[in-house]
Amino acid sequence: MKTSKINVHYITRVEGHGDIVLNAVDGEIEELKWKVIEAPRFFEAMLRGRNYNDVPIIASRICGICSIAHTIASVKAVEAAFGINPTEQTLTLRKLLHNAEYLESHVLHTLFLAAPDYLGVSSVFPLVETHKDIVVMALRLKRLAYNMAEIIAGRKTHPLGCVVGGFSMTPDINALKDIKQRLEAARGDLEIIVKLFKTLEILSFERETEYIALKDSREYALVNGDIGSTDSQTLPVSSYLGVTNEFCVPWSTAKYTKHKRDSYMVGALSRFNLNHAQLLPQAKNAAVELGLIAPNYNPYMITVAQLVETIHVIEDSINIIKHLESTGLKEETPVVKVKAGRGVGAVEAPRGLLIHDYTFNDKGILTAANCIIPTNQNHNNIQKDMEALVPGILDQTEDEIRRKLEMLVRSYDPCISCSTHLLKISFTNKK
Amino acid sequence: MAKEMILVVDDEAIVRESIKDWLIQSGYQVLTAENGEEALEMIKKQDFRVMVLDIRLPGESGINVLAKAKTINPKLKSIIITAYPTEDTLIEAKKHGAIDYLIKPVIPEDLEKLIQDTVNSIDDGVATEKERIEKAPSPITKLYSITSSGVKSLIEGLIREREVIGVKSKQGKFIFDKLNSYDELILDYDITLLPPSKFLFPAKETLLKFNVESGPKFQVVNDAKPRALVGVHPDDINAIALLDDVFIKINPDPNYITRRQNTLIIGVNCLHPASESFAPSMGTNTADSGYDLLLTDIGIGFMAAVGTKTGAELLNKYANPREVTGEEIARQKEVRDEAVTKYQRSLNVPKERLLKLLQDNYENPFWEFRAKSCLSCGSCVMVCPTCFCFDVQDEMALNLIEGERYRNWDGCVLVDFAKVASGENFRHTKGSRFRHRILRKGKYILEKYGRAGCVGCGRCATACLAKIASPVEAFNAIAESERVKEEADRIIIEAESKHNIYLPHLALLVNVQDLGAKEKVFDFKFVDGRALGHKPGQFVEVSIPGIGESPISISSSPTRGEEFQLAVRNVGSVTNALHKLKEGQVVGIRGPFGKGFPIDQLKGKDILFIAGGIGLFPLRSLIQYVLDKRENFGRIIILLGARSPSERMFTSELEQWNRNPSVEYMETVEKGDEKWTGNVGVVTALIPKVRVDIKNTVAVIVGPPIMYRFVINELKKIGLADEHIVLSLERRMKCGVGKCGHCQINGVYVCQDGPVFTLEQLRGLREAVL
Amino acid sequence: MKPRVAFFDFASCEGCQLEALNLDAGELLDLIAAVDIVNFREAMSESSDTYDIAFIEGSVTRESDIARLEKIRQRAKILIALGACATIGGVNCLKNHMPMEEALKIVYGEDAKNYDTIPTKPIDEVVHVDYYVRGCPPPTSEMLKVVKAILLGKKPEIPNYPVCVECKWSGNVCAFERAMTCLGPVSRAGCGAICVTKGRNCWGCRGLVDEPNVDSEKEILQKHGITLEQALQKFQIYSTGGEKK
Repeated sequence: MKTSKINVHYITRVEGHGDIVLNAVDGEIEELKWKVIEAPRFFEAMLRGRNYNDVPIIASRICGICSIAHTIASVKAVEAAFGINPTEQTLTLRKLLHNAEYLESHVLHTLFLAAPDYLGVSSVFPLVETHKDIVVMALRLKRLAYNMAEIIAGRKTHPLGCVVGGFSMTPDINALKDIKQRLEAARGDLEIIVKLFKTLEILSFERETEYIALKDSREYALVNGDIGSTDSQTLPVSSYLGVTNEFCVPWSTAKYTKHKRDSYMVGALSRFNLNHAQLLPQAKNAAVELGLIAPNYNPYMITVAQLVETIHVIEDSINIIKHLESTGLKEETPVVKVKAGRGVGAVEAPRGLLIHDYTFNDKGILTAANCIIPTNQNHNNIQKDMEALVPGILDQTEDEIRRKLEMLVRSYDPCISCSTHLLKISFTNKK
Repeated sequence: MAKEMILVVDDEAIVRESIKDWLIQSGYQVLTAENGEEALEMIKKQDFRVMVLDIRLPGESGINVLAKAKTINPKLKSIIITAYPTEDTLIEAKKHGAIDYLIKPVIPEDLEKLIQDTVNSIDDGVATEKERIEKAPSPITKLYSITSSGVKSLIEGLIREREVIGVKSKQGKFIFDKLNSYDELILDYDITLLPPSKFLFPAKETLLKFNVESGPKFQVVNDAKPRALVGVHPDDINAIALLDDVFIKINPDPNYITRRQNTLIIGVNCLHPASESFAPSMGTNTADSGYDLLLTDIGIGFMAAVGTKTGAELLNKYANPREVTGEEIARQKEVRDEAVTKYQRSLNVPKERLLKLLQDNYENPFWEFRAKSCLSCGSCVMVCPTCFCFDVQDEMALNLIEGERYRNWDGCVLVDFAKVASGENFRHTKGSRFRHRILRKGKYILEKYGRAGCVGCGRCATACLAKIASPVEAFNAIAESERVKEEADRIIIEAESKHNIYLPHLALLVNVQDLGAKEKVFDFKFVDGRALGHKPGQFVEVSIPGIGESPISISSSPTRGEEFQLAVRNVGSVTNALHKLKEGQVVGIRGPFGKGFPIDQLKGKDILFIAGGIGLFPLRSLIQYVLDKRENFGRIIILLGARSPSERMFTSELEQWNRNPSVEYMETVEKGDEKWTGNVGVVTALIPKVRVDIKNTVAVIVGPPIMYRFVINELKKIGLADEHIVLSLERRMKCGVGKCGHCQINGVYVCQDGPVFTLEQLRGLREAVL
Repeated sequence: MKPRVAFFDFASCEGCQLEALNLDAGELLDLIAAVDIVNFREAMSESSDTYDIAFIEGSVTRESDIARLEKIRQRAKILIALGACATIGGVNCLKNHMPMEEALKIVYGEDAKNYDTIPTKPIDEVVHVDYYVRGCPPPTSEMLKVVKAILLGKKPEIPNYPVCVECKWSGNVCAFERAMTCLGPVSRAGCGAICVTKGRNCWGCRGLVDEPNVDSEKEILQKHGITLEQALQKFQIYSTGGEKK
């Protein structure tokens, strides 16, 4: 009688707290759960009653890694509610800022969180001995992303400059030129990382699911777009509720979502599957080199898709800075006129589709909020993936099974603490 | 009140008579003279307060009359009137002490106001007369006329030569910042957020770099970049003059000096003052010196006053200067007089009265009341051009091998400014901090440096969110008056190349011994073999690079060889690190600093030593000295107090003192133990047990603050005079050289004027609290 | 023997730990030469129950957090609160301003009974804290300052003066002069006044100074056009409002 009992308490190398539980006897699975037990954080209860100026500041604190994505989604939602159209320069700077976050987040995940598994170590720290150059390179890229964000918005974690209506500070074009040079140098770094990844044996497993991401006819959608899906036509962002359909499950403080199937996936692989044709040439080439061809149904390949996106955002940023060099940067003061209304702002955070939905009264005070977090949307998919994966590997050792399950969760790059808090709120006239 | 006597001297009858009539109507007594000789005769016979004098006289010239009148009656103040202003005569007149000049035709109201101000400013002997700083020769001031394109090419020339810091706009305000082109420069502005002195004394600067890899090594850091400050208003010029005195004259500050020597000052007269500014009340809306060039926009061009040779060279090189015309001088006066009318704030009393006013109102409840809404946010001091207090910190790199010692702006209004390592805060209420700042601005700085501590720029009043910071409001609110005229004299002195005052000398730890549970005594000698050369009562600053610096009294006498001893209690970060040191290790030492015990005053006298607890540490230095030179002194009486027998320190030395037949020795502990057979009680109780000749005895006391009160009480009971009671005070000390400000007690710096004081000196210092 | 350092997180966004890793290569190498990082769930899989220095990010929001925190306190010689959530409660405190049951109901509806939640507490309301590294996020330099101070055996010099000091050092135009209202005058400096320098105002994420003149600040806020209620709201973003920490 073969028993497999796995209880991963607080899986490591992911953001937030989650457990994996597997109980199997003689090939029969008694229990298999991806449990999210992160502390609920009550964000929309916290946003209620706040002035619109404070809302992005608080919303940013949903997540420390994708604080830029939350900030941008948040200001977009406020702007949508008030009917504000930001300037060309603002839109461009937001894209550049967002790219900085992608660079940092993807490098962090691919090299610090996911790669160690493939290199047979349990963290990045031993790699300082064995792969010192890679570690130094990763730190250099992170530092580049950080400095880029600093120049545009003052700080990377919980940025300052990105406000409703525009920016509170104007970046120094000479500092951006400097960044451009460092980005150009980074191309070489990415080549080395791609080479490294080619040597790694990415686990293979396939389960086709619905893939959802923003779609923008003009470019590979990261900051703007409508909701695209492999299973349906593109829908406007404002009708997101019909896509997400959140529901509770008892073993998780995070909610689940589903659309056309039992579950759906968001994130790098979804974006790749839907929009790969719009990747910049250098990224497309890297995808081919790494064996990533659309459509790809292997969740372990999310990490590879992130690597491809890293190359894309580096090129995109170089192009943006060149453009700003020719147009120059003007000091623009954001002008905000408050009015009652509801607005939805959506971005593709590094981990997937992120939506902020706000309602304001005529004094600019928030009365209702709803946020859909990327990882939220993936929990269900992770559960279904595990249910499809485990039967086929039950004959392996417990260690092997545990490793594959952990790596599965890790490849989604989950951001668990963000995902445990938000729900539609109805204003109950309490105050 | 008796009517003031005025003398009017002019050869034209109509001028004489009309001025006389006007002044009589205004309540003065007026006599007239039609030529110089007559005027001088009258001055010999009458005590005139003010003379109104025409420069162009028949016979004896106006200038000669001025000069001669001064010898007859030095207190006589003179006002020149002239129809033909020339630069030379004006300079001459100024040189001979004329107050001001008016251009004919004289507007009666102007004259009257000038006389009124002059009369009010007369020194009637009530103000404390401070020793005047030796006057340097009159600064160069020559006037030229240049066009606005001359100004432009001057600035552009400067930009090519050096880094130019000029006035630019920022978010609707003005700041001093690097100029990339002439077009960025704004010469007509009201006030900048921060004063231009921040380029001479920046908010944060590195003093030293250090490396501790094989023992501590220090390296000086300096900024010698050539710069020019352009657009500096006279009030800021006056403020820089004060900073020059502070940082150059005594204990020359190498970092400030380097910057100062490499910075040109191109001033501009202020035509549109800020709403909070009251510079004319402080006499700082004009500057006679302290600049290389001072420009005035007179509409039809610019006047350029030359202050230094460099200024003259620049003018010649770039600006195509020409001689001024009489019309231009008149126009300049017009422009400047008009600017004066634009100030919205002023002192209601002559500034000379401030000293006495502030002195007499120390206990005024106004201070606490006003400071109620003070946030202790520091805005007022950080934007102030005459503030210069700073903090010094060490920052180590993560490798724990190298680091830097830097200083940053600090302020007496911040809560922890006067807090020491043991936790005591010597200025812990908002009211006391507010009072201290105002007193510094209006009194202490004037007394110490002979210059106004406030230039009336108005920045603090603008920056203060609680709207309580304006000194003029505080002064007016208290309001009395005395005018002390301080003459500006400033020339950059070539600083003698002495040892950099912030650079520690390396000292080797030769021996360590335990004294008590938290006390040790360290024997040091300088690595380069030199002697410390200290006086008993002085202190040193001990450096452990990366941790910081701490003031420690010297515990041994200079008569005891090259090595010196520091007895130290472990209370804070530095002393903690010191206590971990082993023999053979090296520290940094600066000093000796401070005034030691008054050895000369003690010669031939009986000395009553009283020490409580670790007060013994500094006192031991003097006791050893006196024992080594026994024949110079009378009776030696030593009274020691400790908390308990186990807390007695230097016990074998105490034994020696006890057994010494020429020493009268008594000891007590507050709480005895089973073995203790000596006195039990506080050290104060020992005083009645000694019989002293109060006319020939000096008491020297060191101990905790609480002890002073009781001991002094006892000493006063037996009739000892204040000047025969000597004590050593503790305060937070950082720089040791009278600059950073933390050790201030009212207007004195403990590190310079102390730590040893007589009780007589302390009677005037309310914050000493004894 | 190198000190053993462990990182733990409670209810937080994990941004503070991320900032801790934001070192350049040289600094990271110096850091791991000086200390052994034995627990950092977000970045490594090994863990250990033996550590000298524990960094805690996040606030206490559940009953179960209390026992967990107490156990960490028992094991660590030095406990350091890292970031606003740990030092003063942080944005998690916003939920304290409405009754708990209401917040639960709003978020989870009828399933509310499954969720354990208590009013947010900063960690020093549960255990003794040796050092505070403040801010949202704290500047990396301050975390390093505390580490260096521990290694050198000295007290880290953290400012006890308001943000205004650093604003003036930077030559900023005051937020109040740019039609904003600001908590700088009562909030603890050490952040370099970064928010104001980048065009915003201060939200007080580092907590109050030791002796804040809160009444004066409230008056000033009101003078600049916000009501007392709005002023109180400002204090609440990062903490339960008004106390010194």
